Amino acid sequence: MSRGEIQTITLTINGAEKTLTVHPSETLLDALRRASYTGVKHGCKTGDCGACTVLLDGQPVHSCMIRATEAEGHEVTTIEALAAGGQLHLIQQAFIETGAIQCGYCTPAKILVTKALLDRNPDPTEREIREALSGNLCRCTGYVKTVQAVQRAAAMLRGEEVEPFTPVEATLGPGRSPTDVVERYYHMAEDEAPLPPLLLSPPEMEPLRVVGKGVPKVDGVKLAAGRPVFTDDIKLEGMLYGALLTSPHAHARIKRIDASRARALPGVHVVLTYKDIPRVKYASGGQSYPQPPPYDQVVLDNKMRHEGDRVAVVAAETPELARRALRLIEVEYEVLPHVLDPQEAMQDGAPVIHDEPDTESIYDAQHNIVHHIEAEGGDREVQWAKADYVFEREYRTSRQQHAHIEPHVCITYWDEDDRLVVRSSTQVPFHIRRMLAPLIGLPEKRIRVIKPRIGGGFGNKQELVLEDLCALLTIATGRPVRMEYTRRQEFTSSRSRHPQIMRYKVGVTKDMEVVATELYLIGDTGAYGTHGLTVQMVGGQKGLTLYNAPYSRFVCDVVYTNKPPAGAFRGYGATQCFFGIETIMSEIADEMGWDVVEFKRKNWIKIGEELLLSKALGEGREGFEQVIRSSGLEECVQVGLEAMDWYNKRGNEAWRQKDATTRRGIGMAVMLHGSGVAGLDMASATIKMNDDGSFNLLVGATDLGTGSDTILAQMAAEVLGVPVEDIIVYSSDTDFTPFDKGAYASSTTYISGGAVRKAALDVADQIKEHAALMLGLESAEGLVLRDRKIIIPDGRELTLAQVALSSLHQQNQHQIIASASHMSYESPPPFGAQFVEVAVDTETGQVTVERVLMVVDAGRVVNPITASGQVEGGLAQAVGFAHCEEMVYDANGHLVNPRLGPYHIYKANEMPRIEVIFVQTEEPTGPFGAKSVAEIPMDGIAPAMADAIHDATGVWIREVPFTPERVWRALRAA
Amino acid sequence: MKNDQTKRILWSIVADVPLQSVLEDSRCPPLLRRTLTGTLSWQTRNETSVRKALGMPRIAPRWVAALMALGATVTVEGEAGPTEVLLSVGTRLPHPHMLHIPLVEGMRWGEACVARTPADEPIVAAVAVVEMSDGLVRQARVALTGVWPEPVRLAEAPARLIGSPLEEERIRAVAEAVEKEVAPRGDFRGSEEYRRAMAGVLTRRALEQCLRQEGENE
Repeated sequence: MSRGEIQTITLTINGAEKTLTVHPSETLLDALRRASYTGVKHGCKTGDCGACTVLLDGQPVHSCMIRATEAEGHEVTTIEALAAGGQLHLIQQAFIETGAIQCGYCTPAKILVTKALLDRNPDPTEREIREALSGNLCRCTGYVKTVQAVQRAAAMLRGEEVEPFTPVEATLGPGRSPTDVVERYYHMAEDEAPLPPLLLSPPEMEPLRVVGKGVPKVDGVKLAAGRPVFTDDIKLEGMLYGALLTSPHAHARIKRIDASRARALPGVHVVLTYKDIPRVKYASGGQSYPQPPPYDQVVLDNKMRHEGDRVAVVAAETPELARRALRLIEVEYEVLPHVLDPQEAMQDGAPVIHDEPDTESIYDAQHNIVHHIEAEGGDREVQWAKADYVFEREYRTSRQQHAHIEPHVCITYWDEDDRLVVRSSTQVPFHIRRMLAPLIGLPEKRIRVIKPRIGGGFGNKQELVLEDLCALLTIATGRPVRMEYTRRQEFTSSRSRHPQIMRYKVGVTKDMEVVATELYLIGDTGAYGTHGLTVQMVGGQKGLTLYNAPYSRFVCDVVYTNKPPAGAFRGYGATQCFFGIETIMSEIADEMGWDVVEFKRKNWIKIGEELLLSKALGEGREGFEQVIRSSGLEECVQVGLEAMDWYNKRGNEAWRQKDATTRRGIGMAVMLHGSGVAGLDMASATIKMNDDGSFNLLVGATDLGTGSDTILAQMAAEVLGVPVEDIIVYSSDTDFTPFDKGAYASSTTYISGGAVRKAALDVADQIKEHAALMLGLESAEGLVLRDRKIIIPDGRELTLAQVALSSLHQQNQHQIIASASHMSYESPPPFGAQFVEVAVDTETGQVTVERVLMVVDAGRVVNPITASGQVEGGLAQAVGFAHCEEMVYDANGHLVNPRLGPYHIYKANEMPRIEVIFVQTEEPTGPFGAKSVAEIPMDGIAPAMADAIHDATGVWIREVPFTPERVWRALRAA
Repeated sequence: MKNDQTKRILWSIVADVPLQSVLEDSRCPPLLRRTLTGTLSWQTRNETSVRKALGMPRIAPRWVAALMALGATVTVEGEAGPTEVLLSVGTRLPHPHMLHIPLVEGMRWGEACVARTPADEPIVAAVAVVEMSDGLVRQARVALTGVWPEPVRLAEAPARLIGSPLEEERIRAVAEAVEKEVAPRGDFRGSEEYRRAMAGVLTRRALEQCLRQEGENE
């Protein structure tokens, strides 16, 4: 930016007149963030996501779409204005109380839109709320609680009394049929939408004091206030800006690369190409040691294997200079033949994507088969001989993008001890530290990884994608460096869900018994292996376990193509394979004339059964034998059938025919998932008591918006007899928190929770022992921690503060502190049933999702508000996967929809009615009886929609997403 | 502005105003309201002027199609002074000053679209406006999105309706003619074949809405 181009503008920001120096082309977004209004976020810079929304003269606008100069003389309001004086605005308060904040990245924008709406309309309808919020994409919440937050805020601003926001609770057991419970709930909720979550408990389940309560998120206030808590919200002295040059070709070799012009540009500090970086092989998937093979990547290579592959990286004084420098790098490519279809990639003569000699452990590089997996259990001949009928079907799923609103972003810098600090939006800080060290030539002890708040991840941040490049730029320059993916790079250079081709073969008897199931799976891992092995193994294991046939066989080829690498994505292979198994089960029932629910019920896995393939199919290695110890699946289905009025709709022609050209349908699917990776995932926690009886809880667990910091604090508080506000959580810092595998595999509640519970029990024992010492008791037996006190059986009491002060300053002086680790050889499955109602336009093929219900057994629910938020958000992603989301490539391997708009994730004003019901069980191996909840919502919507579309039209669609043209063609072919 | 039979009001809008102001104007007819909501966000309406929306029809293609179906014109500044231009095929207007929307008493309208999801940008959308007089169609305009790179007002097919009663059989004939008249290009959301078929289906539906509709001011 030359001095001559700079302009000075005067405007009012949050009520105060400000003068900003801006470039004529600078957006209001960049100008505001440069001026430290970091509550203004960004997610696309194309006006699609709405995260950058500010109020301009009271009207919401995308600050990325207007120039700063256009704001001259106008009044700009950012989130920082709302909590002036430290007092939260009622809107912010309502967002916290209703659980409308998950990752919190898009929250400031939504709160500002809410303010603008309520300023003009103090009593908006739900439709008006959804319409107002339609420009604010949210990938976490499913918008349910956002609407509830706005309704609550409106009531509060009108001066009305509002009830505490709590789930509806009921007991489900003898004498209380699901019908009674659900009818009571639905009667109560008549004309109210969206509904609060319903929590059903077995009669023998004892309520706990803190666990099971919908306490507000521990990070809610700072997120609602828009404080600078995300990776990109700091600006370090002397910070440079990194930028990445990526391949325009799907498959090419760099013949010549000349960065001299870029390096000569004033303000450019370094340009790195493959010539400047040691060639160290690695795999980018953030998984436990040793990472599954193959190690088929290097930081920068001379061969490009997909559009968006890394070519070169630059660090410069400003982002604009960095981008200019990229344009000055001269690259001459030898364009190579490419292959996009995994089946074609396996053919003789297909282009070989990994022809480099230094990648080991590729199963068949000449045919682009990175892994070949075979596993089976049971007696093949005996079981197939029992089958009276054999069904074979093929199903296909598409490439879905995570579309977290906060892009991948990383800041690296040297600290005062010459240690490299990596501040990154990662789900796996400890894995990143371990994986990064060999790539940048530093020992692990000289690396510290910090995970601030994350704006969503969903698996995409379980990868090392920017940290190595950013670190190398800091090492080369000695300066802090910030790097961030553009939204386009999120599509072309990060990860996605593996597209799969599934060929299921199922043998059934005339008595509805599934005796044999085989799955041949082709997993398209794109250009690199990363999670290719583990995703397909999980998919096969889950897809063949739900019905756990006496004979099951899994054969899989994981195949390279010249597309961006697939990776971890919520559901992790199960989402795809459940589409196949649940649809073929529904197809079998339909063809045989069986009641689909009865057919599935007869065959789904039940308590006491051993998962046939759990040993053969671990994650990237042999697993461990698993037995189902808890299951609420039967209750989930019963409750769901009643809530949906299933038997009065399914097959009911009068209900089906909505109008002349629109037919309704209802469908269902059941599913299970896991709770962490058995025998591999490990977490640890440290709890330290403070003088005032409060506690520091240090966890390596990574809260990426899920609320894990909150539920872990609840577990500690439950054991220690204190409210959650007495637990100060610090998480995800490799220097100051103990190890945790990170946030993936639905492991945090079960594994990290197990560690917190153990540490808390240890601390509780220490407190009791010290209390016994203080009171001259011979034993600590019978002492109870409750209400911030130690209750002695003889009626005496000590406060926790008294014990803390005594232990630190007076008697037997020591720090009451404990660390504990937890792993498990079990991964107890949560279970669920999902129901979908659709309307199919038989002339256009357009499918409208009208209603979605998930009834889920997640064991004991630690926090019904955050857990239901997880389910609602997962359902929204699942509906997108099934209905509209698809990364589409042209014949040259170029992505044709690399923007949030054309890609399209669901908006607030088009979401179907979404409801969540929990059926609680007690999982004996879980902390407080808990299992997981994070991924299972992804698993059944696609097959339930396929079932519903079939119910409406008689046509089976075996490929997702169910786009209008795909459905139209199927209807025409029928 | 009046003629013998029909009350006709010309709603003129300065091209500088944002689309949100158009939406909030009490004169804004339901057809335009409908095409300004759903797909278009509040933020986009606030930051997009009428001029910008007309110059870049991909921002609000259904709204532009609705203007075409309404017979809207714009005043542009040319070398020979201000000129009034009818919004029609591929209109790209670099510097429109005013937008003029005729609002006709008894006007009937219909709008139909197909999209991946309810608030996604339609793959194809059809807007029809029919003016009736003495039981006969006096004017019929159909505009579509998704069958050309930009919104298009069809020239030939709707003319078949003029001078006759609005009847289902004629509507079907027009819809078939529309399929022949359009020249869509396929993309990832819909092939050429699909878009062509939808042009017919949606035109028929839009006109059927007109058939079922009492005129707005009738």
